[in-house]
Amino acid sequence: MSSLAGSAVLKLDGIVRDFSDGRVTRRVLNRTTLEIMSGEFTVIAGPSGSGKTTLLTIMGLVLKPTEGKILVGGKDVAKYSDDELARTRLARIGFVFQTAGLIPALSALDNILIPRAIQGARVTRELRSRARELLKRFGLEDYAGAMPQQLSTGQQQRIAIARALLGDPPLLLCDEPTSALDVESGKTVLDTLKDLSRETSRGVVMVTHDPRVFPYADRLIKVENGSVVYDTRSSPQGGIQK
Amino acid sequence: MRRFAAWRLLLHDRSTTAGSVLGVVAIIFLVGQQLAVLFGLFSLMSALVDHSGADIWVVTRDTRDVNSTGSLPVRYVDRLSGLPDIEWVEPLVSGGGSFKRADGKFQPVQIIGLARPRMAGGPWRFAAGGLNALFDYDGGTVDKLDLKVLGYPDLSQVVEVNGRRLRINALTRGIRGFSGTLLFTNEDKAREITGTPRTRCSNILVKVKPGRSIAGVIGQIRAILPEAEPIAAPELARNTRLFYVTDTGIGSSFGFSTLIGALVGVVIIMLTMYTTVLNHQRDYAVLRALGARRHDILVIVLFQSLFVGLIGILIGFLLMAGFLAGVRDTRLPAYMPLWLPPIHAAATLLLCVLGSLLAIRRANRIEPASAFR
Repeated sequence: MSSLAGSAVLKLDGIVRDFSDGRVTRRVLNRTTLEIMSGEFTVIAGPSGSGKTTLLTIMGLVLKPTEGKILVGGKDVAKYSDDELARTRLARIGFVFQTAGLIPALSALDNILIPRAIQGARVTRELRSRARELLKRFGLEDYAGAMPQQLSTGQQQRIAIARALLGDPPLLLCDEPTSALDVESGKTVLDTLKDLSRETSRGVVMVTHDPRVFPYADRLIKVENGSVVYDTRSSPQGGIQK
Repeated sequence: MRRFAAWRLLLHDRSTTAGSVLGVVAIIFLVGQQLAVLFGLFSLMSALVDHSGADIWVVTRDTRDVNSTGSLPVRYVDRLSGLPDIEWVEPLVSGGGSFKRADGKFQPVQIIGLARPRMAGGPWRFAAGGLNALFDYDGGTVDKLDLKVLGYPDLSQVVEVNGRRLRINALTRGIRGFSGTLLFTNEDKAREITGTPRTRCSNILVKVKPGRSIAGVIGQIRAILPEAEPIAAPELARNTRLFYVTDTGIGSSFGFSTLIGALVGVVIIMLTMYTTVLNHQRDYAVLRALGARRHDILVIVLFQSLFVGLIGILIGFLLMAGFLAGVRDTRLPAYMPLWLPPIHAAATLLLCVLGSLLAIRRANRIEPASAFR
């Protein structure tokens, strides 16, 4: 474990995930056990179809496993109802998607606010003020009223990160957030995610097949054919330890 | 925020939203227009009863509607006059006539003959002249709306009805019968034109003294006139409307076109709302992944259907108001009772929600995992 890592924010225990089209059942994840630690930037890498996105969606409580336990805050949430999972996601997990996934009908500020209010809660002045602070942090304070289509893809992705951070979740899950970005924007986003992982009590997990991301990782997990091939952490000197 | 998001998503998809609103407008306007014409016809069907001022109409036993001409002995009028609870009794003479136009063509009319001096059952709204016009032996009225079909006769002009003289002494305003042109005159002139003998009349109108029971008087009339049928005026009006609705095909015709109007609107709403959900599938999936419950997405879609409904209802009723203003003082009967718009609006809002059920079903199936594909 790296010296930066703290406590476990999420634990997967013997996770199996099968997909079936009615005739053929295909195993996409095979008895995967993992712990995601706070203060750590974890990169999950693997070729297309290796099961890395399935792993991410199970970590994000978006997809239920066929077998196994998902421990969040010490509780197994794998058998939670859809509504309980939604509430847990809202309280504990932030998402950054491959494409920013902003709602095109809403302004940048409203896109940041909407997850907090989607279950019917009022948008308080404090919440709005915190959203503006996040915009400022990402250098987008002048774009609060801008619509997503008026922003560059890099700016959109930073808005998506701000959206994920508004609830101050202990876990941030990112699904290839740099794949649609140019080199410069990609670097900015990666620096941002790395900084976020340095903040206390937050774990950042990123799924990618882009090797340029690997140097940023505190921990690199390689997935192939639904199984973890290796799980390594970087040494304090910067090298990867197996 | 869900309401706000629903509203913003609607504004973002202007063309599909306009389609949904069009569906609601179609329901409000097409159905509303059908209902307004139906109620307009209702008011024509029972206009004579509604404005007669009588509490009870005495008609022949087989009478099903007020516009069919019966035949009762005039001596009944004298017999009824002796009842202590009755304020006044008047005979009414009615029958068909053929109005000769200036160009020599004939137009069928319904003659209504009223007894002097009360002229009960007489015209109640005038464009020119007044009820005094009927005191003149040859005096009669035609309606302003019927001037065209009657060949534009002038006021004070003497015309021929069934080959008899009639002087048009007054013009009524918007008084028309269900069977067409109503021509009011005095009892004597009506007898002359329709050939009704002095011993007979079509109906007898009865006014009950204030504070006396109408049902009680009806019982008294039945006891002394077992061959006739006394009916309370509102009941006769109802029976008349029911007769036309059920026995003439008007009911099924209006019912069918109303149903089609509603159906067209619901289908438009259904398709456009469904398209809106399809267009925003990924947005809803992202919201689900970020923490929205199924229920929260349904609330957004439901709010959208309510917004669409309210906008469509507003536009639809503005169009309806234009329609009603446009057909006012024309031969097209259209009337919307005050209690109808709220019911129509509520029913339309319900149809709007029903129309969005397909969209709700689609939204309900959106899985948060699809945000990652």
